[in-house]
Amino acid sequence: MVFRKRKQKTPFEGGGVVLFLDVHDAMKAERVLTDAGHLVKLVAPPPALRKGCDLAVEINLVEKVGIERLLDQKDVVYVSIAPLKVETSGLLEIVKVTDFGDWVMVKAANMKLTFDKKEGIIVNTSGGGCPDIPYLHAELIGKQLTQAPLPRDIGFTLCALMLNRALEEGIKLWSGGSSP
Amino acid sequence: MMLIVGTIPIKDLPLTLGRVRAEGEWLALNGHSIPCTQGTGAMISAALAATDYLKLEPPQVLVAGDIGEGSGSRQIYEYLIQRVAELSPQVLALHYCVPDMALMRRLCQSIKGCAKAPILVADAGSMYAAKAAGLATEFDLFTPDATEMAFLADPDATHPAYISKHLFDLDISQTPKLVADAYRQRSAAKLLLVKGAIDYVARDGEVLATIAEPNIPELEAIGGTGDTITGLVSALAYAGLKLDEAAIIAARANRLAGRSATITPATKVSQVVDHFPAVFQELAPQKEETKMVEIDVRGFSCPIPVIRAKKAIEEKPKEVITVLVDNAAAKENVSRLAKSEGYSVEIEEVGENFCLRLSPPKNR
Repeated sequence: MVFRKRKQKTPFEGGGVVLFLDVHDAMKAERVLTDAGHLVKLVAPPPALRKGCDLAVEINLVEKVGIERLLDQKDVVYVSIAPLKVETSGLLEIVKVTDFGDWVMVKAANMKLTFDKKEGIIVNTSGGGCPDIPYLHAELIGKQLTQAPLPRDIGFTLCALMLNRALEEGIKLWSGGSSP
Repeated sequence: MMLIVGTIPIKDLPLTLGRVRAEGEWLALNGHSIPCTQGTGAMISAALAATDYLKLEPPQVLVAGDIGEGSGSRQIYEYLIQRVAELSPQVLALHYCVPDMALMRRLCQSIKGCAKAPILVADAGSMYAAKAAGLATEFDLFTPDATEMAFLADPDATHPAYISKHLFDLDISQTPKLVADAYRQRSAAKLLLVKGAIDYVARDGEVLATIAEPNIPELEAIGGTGDTITGLVSALAYAGLKLDEAAIIAARANRLAGRSATITPATKVSQVVDHFPAVFQELAPQKEETKMVEIDVRGFSCPIPVIRAKKAIEEKPKEVITVLVDNAAAKENVSRLAKSEGYSVEIEEVGENFCLRLSPPKNR
């Protein structure tokens, strides 16, 4: 008997999993994400993350924002998206604020957003390393905090999620009149 | 060749490899226009300013459009995996891309096929992927900011958004501890340039240098001013400087440009880049203090390089003489002349040129 060499698949290491209550949903998610060009893999969820279904979809965790949006648009029901390594901390929730006199800089993880105190106009964004960040830089600068598009709506990655957090905090500081 | 690799936030920009040139606030590349804004555009602009000043060939760049959905990033990496050995750059700087551990692993494997190992630099998403995939030690230089340094020091984080709260809370003065932790966990490149209120240059867990002056806090708010440092250090390494020296000069030049541009948090990075030529000139007089004679005889064939070198030896017998040539015959002839005069000769390849450093005998 001749054994054929199995065709080698493209290696994949995603670092994150989408968790489901139902196998059907997991399979639907795998199809939706693959059709959209994402590299994904059906896997067993780690025991510590199991949410009732024995099937999960491994994703590139960095693409969390774009994947959440796509699943919502395609009505795929899922429980949550989590890092595959259970030792990984949760998403960083805290922000830091720096007062530059006429401007305020809000920092969330690796992302920073700066606006002018008087008009609430976004004058700069900095930090980050994913490709949607230079795009969001161009989309946000010059816009008023409350009129700017939300990074989580037009971005795709964890960096966009952190920029979104900085923007939300900026809006809170500015509209609440509590800017330093 | 120096090769800068990264995505550009223009959705339809195809995968493009070529040399860039500056066109006002834009970069021209094979008929495409790339903005000098935060990201790889800023990095290329800074590197180009340095290569222009040093009269080196401009950087080659490999870019593709990507606004975060990842297709441009994957095109870049797949192309580079196939072609990097053939391109064999002297400096390879990897920048904004969707962090993908498997692609980074394949790329590092392909880089091993280069005839000579390139100086390997990573920043932004490429640095995230290298750390997350456990490949940090294969890199010569990472250029994280202070938060990204915490990410490198956190053994469980695969992205800076997941660093532990206690690491995010650390003050910039705690960076040496993070540096030591990152080296202990093999999550750091051979050299680190940590960008922040204080810039740190570190190797093997030890801080080699700190750069804190001039103190320009507003730089942190301006998108792209970290990218410019990475571009500068890459170009200076390409010019033949030792990587730690290149890192120190790049960090200082960035601060000086910020001061010279009288920046505010609302300044654009292109305004900082505009000040690099003047800053390079400001830094240049330090070279004269070391009593060095420089002869640029690129474009000349022998005997001109030999005649010019001999004249310098006769006129300045106690000084170090550097001779820049662009052909092997001139390199050999000038070396032979210098050795016959008792000089020691060090030769460095700088792009497609040779830089000969002629040091006079000590008893002269």
